[in-house]
Amino acid sequence: MSQKVGIARLATGVPGLDAILGGGVPEFSLNLIVGAPGCGKTTLAHQLMFAMATRKRPALFFTALGEPAMKMLRYQQQFSFFDPDKINESIRFVSLGEDVANGAFAQVLKRIAHEVEKVAPALVFVDSFRSVMLEAQHQSEGPGSQQQFIQQLGMQLLGWETTTFLIGEYASPTSPPPIFTMADGLMSLEQSVFRNSMVRKIQIMKMRGQATRPGMHTFRITDEGVVVFPAVDVRDDPSRGTLARPRERTQKRLAMGVPRLDEMMGGGLPSGYSLLVAGPSGSGKTILATAFLVEGVRRGEPGVIVAFEQTPSQSRTRTIDDLVRAGSIGLINTRSLDLSMDEVIQHLITLIDRMKATRVVIDSLSGFELAVAPTFREDFRESLFRMIAALSNLGVTVLMTSELEDRYNDLRFSPYGSAFLTDAIIVQRYVEVKSCLKRVMAVVKVRASVHSNELREFEIDDGGIVIGETLSEYGGMLSGSPALTPVSSANAQDRP
Amino acid sequence: MPITDRELCRETIRRTLRQRAKDTSDALSIATATSEIWLLMSAQLTPVIGGNGVDAILRRSLYLVSAAFPWLTSPDEHVDHESLPVRISVRFAGRDSVVVEQASCSFLITFTELLATLIGNSLTRRLLASVWVAAPPVVEQEKIS
Repeated sequence: MSQKVGIARLATGVPGLDAILGGGVPEFSLNLIVGAPGCGKTTLAHQLMFAMATRKRPALFFTALGEPAMKMLRYQQQFSFFDPDKINESIRFVSLGEDVANGAFAQVLKRIAHEVEKVAPALVFVDSFRSVMLEAQHQSEGPGSQQQFIQQLGMQLLGWETTTFLIGEYASPTSPPPIFTMADGLMSLEQSVFRNSMVRKIQIMKMRGQATRPGMHTFRITDEGVVVFPAVDVRDDPSRGTLARPRERTQKRLAMGVPRLDEMMGGGLPSGYSLLVAGPSGSGKTILATAFLVEGVRRGEPGVIVAFEQTPSQSRTRTIDDLVRAGSIGLINTRSLDLSMDEVIQHLITLIDRMKATRVVIDSLSGFELAVAPTFREDFRESLFRMIAALSNLGVTVLMTSELEDRYNDLRFSPYGSAFLTDAIIVQRYVEVKSCLKRVMAVVKVRASVHSNELREFEIDDGGIVIGETLSEYGGMLSGSPALTPVSSANAQDRP
Repeated sequence: MPITDRELCRETIRRTLRQRAKDTSDALSIATATSEIWLLMSAQLTPVIGGNGVDAILRRSLYLVSAAFPWLTSPDEHVDHESLPVRISVRFAGRDSVVVEQASCSFLITFTELLATLIGNSLTRRLLASVWVAAPPVVEQEKIS
């Protein structure tokens, strides 16, 4: 007989946390929530408790805090998850402060045992467990005694069939205390300040018996409490559930909403592709992106736009605003400067799912780079790769704009070296012809598809982009100052 | 005129004190009732905010109430949640029952309101719900009046 022990997993109720835990917290496990002061340990513990505790699954919260329990309750009540009706019904607080200050390990253990036997909780929280440990050191009972205490407590808690969370500020992971070895689960929280932005991260360092999502994941503390934004893993099997269901790429091509552009692209933009529209300021990138979304709405293909402009009313067209108001397209507009890429991806995925969107516009990558916290800018390119991969998994068609300085000695498509990440590229440039600035556009790439290789002149009028003919009389277009080709020049001279 | 939550809470505390004192008006009964109420409050609060937390609010409450009832406190006397009942018996003994009742109500109300300021009305109500005597049903109220 070789039947495996079935381990139930408890849903934590913390958005995004179950995804990185690998499905929730194993029942009857001993877990540590560790991190420096102010990183959100107590908030996370309270949120877990209020979400998980029920009459049938009561919780005991032992407070042995450096700060008074009263202060903790005062501030925790600011979060929407704090439900006073659960206090003394499914949640009981027990202050260990005096026992910790006056007693020894044995006394504290006895007190915990007494309370646990009395209430028979399914969930036990000790905040902060480190206070207990530190006080014990002051009582000169030595590290041997500490370890003994931890082992005793661990065994007792297992015997009581409780799922336990010990909260504490454990310093160096290089010399972990014995409790780290004993614990079944270890959640490490940290916050870092870089320039004027603050970023919080969580890492599941250990969770016995289940596959956690490795690495650091950003989280934010909002009025609703902790919200975790699981980092998108590009190796992910989408069926694991972190991303919405994948949609198959089809042979379908999407109309761009700009006359003649579909023809230049070999019949439109293939569904599920990512397109980079690169060009200098004012060249018409946003107008092209708008046309793409408007065309989608016209064809019953909802869209989503992510805008990062500081003055959206000026930079976005009125058309977009009208469509957003009408509910035809979804808008994520942020002027925050401390976002993580994963946070944006999470919001985007939610909105795409809600709108059942098939077209996504990111306007622009330059604004996006500014909106992410400085600490993430170094990894912007890698993050962009993960985002495109995530969106590709969803099967949506993505149009990204990228601000590009006009350089006339090289042909660049993106300052992020991201051109290779995308399936298609359209480049817009200014050229000078007869002392006038003209706009030209070319389709540089459409993966696995024939497409035009012409540089076409285009204009922008009230109706949008109007694509004209090639400036075939001119050569050296990419130098910025095209000259008449010899044939054209001779013809011009022959003319009366 | 609408009755506010605060007035209802104060009325509940007065009613509880009167009922615990069995509507007698001698200082000893009021002292006993106050001590009983205090023990119930303390039992509810110490597990949650700790003995030190209760003591901090207790001392502040006594300080505030002593402006109107200076005989309640003495500068050298140490007071905490465990020693309060003894102190109440000593301090209330031999005093006018009307004054004692006012002092007791004032102390219990001040303590409760201070607690509510710190941990919020809803949590205070939740924690101390079992201490207070509920208002009689409306029909009974009408009968009484």
